[in-house]
Amino acid sequence: MIGIFSYLIFFATTASILAIAVLGLNLQWGNTGLFNGGVVAFFGAGAYATLILGGTAQAGHLGGFGLFYPLALLGGMAAAGLMAWIVGLLTLRLRHDYLAIATFGVAVAFENLMRNAEWLAGGAKGVRGFERPLRAALGDGFAYNLLFFAGVLLILIATYLFLERLVASPFGRLLRAIREDEAAAASLGKSPSKVRLTAFVTGSVILGLAGGLYGTFYAFVSPQDVLPTLTFQIWAMLIVGGAGNNRGAIFGAFLIWGAWTLSGWALSRFAPVDVQLYTGSFQFILIGSVIVGMLMWRPQGLLPERLVVSQRGKPQSTQQGE
Amino acid sequence: MSIVRTMGATVGLAFGISALAGAAHAQDCTTKIGAVLPTSVDWGRPIAETAQFAVDQVNAAGGAAGCQIEMVLRDTQVDPKVGVDAAKALVDLEGVNVLLGAVSSGVSMPILTSVTVPSGVLQMSCCSSSTAFTGLATEGKTGGLWFRTFATTGVQSAVGAKVAADQGYKSVAILYKNDDWGQDMARLIAADFAAVGVDVTASVAINDAQPNYRAEVTDALTSQPEALYLALYPAEGTAAVREWLSLGGTQNMILANSLKSDEFRDNVGMQYLGSALGTDTASPRSESADAFRAAYQERFASEPNGPGLANSYDAAMIALLAMEAAGKDASGADVAAAIARVTDPDGTAVSADTAGFVAAKEVLASGGNVMFQGATGNVRFDANGDVSAPAVIWSFSDEGTEEVEFMSLNDVDAFMASLK
Repeated sequence: MIGIFSYLIFFATTASILAIAVLGLNLQWGNTGLFNGGVVAFFGAGAYATLILGGTAQAGHLGGFGLFYPLALLGGMAAAGLMAWIVGLLTLRLRHDYLAIATFGVAVAFENLMRNAEWLAGGAKGVRGFERPLRAALGDGFAYNLLFFAGVLLILIATYLFLERLVASPFGRLLRAIREDEAAAASLGKSPSKVRLTAFVTGSVILGLAGGLYGTFYAFVSPQDVLPTLTFQIWAMLIVGGAGNNRGAIFGAFLIWGAWTLSGWALSRFAPVDVQLYTGSFQFILIGSVIVGMLMWRPQGLLPERLVVSQRGKPQSTQQGE
Repeated sequence: MSIVRTMGATVGLAFGISALAGAAHAQDCTTKIGAVLPTSVDWGRPIAETAQFAVDQVNAAGGAAGCQIEMVLRDTQVDPKVGVDAAKALVDLEGVNVLLGAVSSGVSMPILTSVTVPSGVLQMSCCSSSTAFTGLATEGKTGGLWFRTFATTGVQSAVGAKVAADQGYKSVAILYKNDDWGQDMARLIAADFAAVGVDVTASVAINDAQPNYRAEVTDALTSQPEALYLALYPAEGTAAVREWLSLGGTQNMILANSLKSDEFRDNVGMQYLGSALGTDTASPRSESADAFRAAYQERFASEPNGPGLANSYDAAMIALLAMEAAGKDASGADVAAAIARVTDPDGTAVSADTAGFVAAKEVLASGGNVMFQGATGNVRFDANGDVSAPAVIWSFSDEGTEEVEFMSLNDVDAFMASLK
């Protein structure tokens, strides 16, 4: 019984970290319409920077700054944000699929850099993390995992509340205005390029936060963590959950990650022994089918975006510019 | 003749066991062990099959620690998240104390740091080669729970350097797979070549799944080496070597054990591989290694050639022997501690098959220690869970591979010491 609970906590921790990443992507795609095909680069920048900044000295590559944990995590977010700012300046003039291709290229370049630059981050061997914060006090057991989960959950809730406030604010309306019709927004005196960049950097900082937590949780990151698969997984979570809806983003993360792990567990438990070897391939087919099915029958996602009139409830008030 | 004899012995044994099975029927219990291996990848599936093969042999011998063994297999998809989650599920939901896997170091490492060490579960990897594990173990962060049967990085690079020195090559170019294993290999072999006075003219990374390797191969070729060292897997190895030969590169090649595959030989062509010499860790000169080969051939109708197969077998077998030695209801740490009892160089030698396991049970029950003579040699772990092993230099033949030179464990250790 304790085993099931312990596993669920572990599962929920991973899912919550992924949910934070999906929220970051939701700001970019769901609210602003920026097709970020390189999610994993910003996620990875956060993970790598957090571990390098917070880690102990290691032979052969950068690291050993041993920063206080929250500072290291902030450093990870800053690294992702900085990278997004540079990438954004260069690519945000691109639209839709062109932006997707450019950012995808950035992600592949990032992975290759990490795989080859041994002086920077250990190359293919990866970066070993540090003792997880407070572990000395709580030991290795279940209590620690519970506390870590509580921490991640708090960060997830904080991120959610921040984004809810953001998209309900005038700035949020501006994001949607740009998403729907850039020319119209520009004609009202707004500066779409600046707003797009702001949204892109903010979303990427959130992706970097998720990456930093991920690196902390596993105490390890290597180029295998930043393969394009992760971009695909996070996109699948957002599409299934419902782009443009923060609750949908979180729901999608739990649902897809749950399906991903549950199908593996169920196949290993219930499939006949001689099929066991092929369960990995079955799982890919299963998950692919779910996503294709979603796109065909419910493209807006399970919890679609709720489009509301911002000034509702005050019918008699005069329309104001923002 | 010897095959006929072995088969006779196996059949005899099978009868013996089925007779025993009635007596041993009292043991209805089943102990689960976990395996997290990349079964959705082409080269991962045989590794999992070989581990299951070892479990089947142990079950034929009446199981370990008084119970039948069930191996619960989970796929890692070579994705660290998926592998870690699978490992956690095996530990928490299936209650395993022993975990086999993973293959990639990038998956094994987060499993070790976030699942097996915190939960006190023994983790035994067949194939993770990264030197980072040694570093972690030196700092005492693996808690003595980490072992791997993949000896080959250090041993192999040393023996590769010996081949170059023996053949009188003055200069060598290196092509290596661009992952943790390949990068380690390239670094180690370059140092070992330097130690024996061979120039390294170029060291070029080969990325997976490129449509061609002309640029990389040209880089190596323009440095005009006398020989080529290849630390690659069969698929990209074939592509790179074809390119190399078609551009007029030398046929003097030194191959890492990952290229000891029929696929590589057939796809490149035997006529080009006459002067290619390979290195590998070796089985000891004993009947047990033959027994493993014979049993494997009987089960899979092919030679156990392919990356990680022998290592996977030994990983499973040693883990199960240690479970037997640790007794019923042992914790992961108990099983880890018992590994020394089943890989004791002064212990009774046991072979790598069902009969060997039966023999080991008797010795262990009477309080003795055994020396497991596995498919990769008489495996012996050091304090960091790393192994050393005898080595062999091999070449391709029409039937498969043949041995050119055998180096005993002592020869290997002496030669490696001379490189320092």
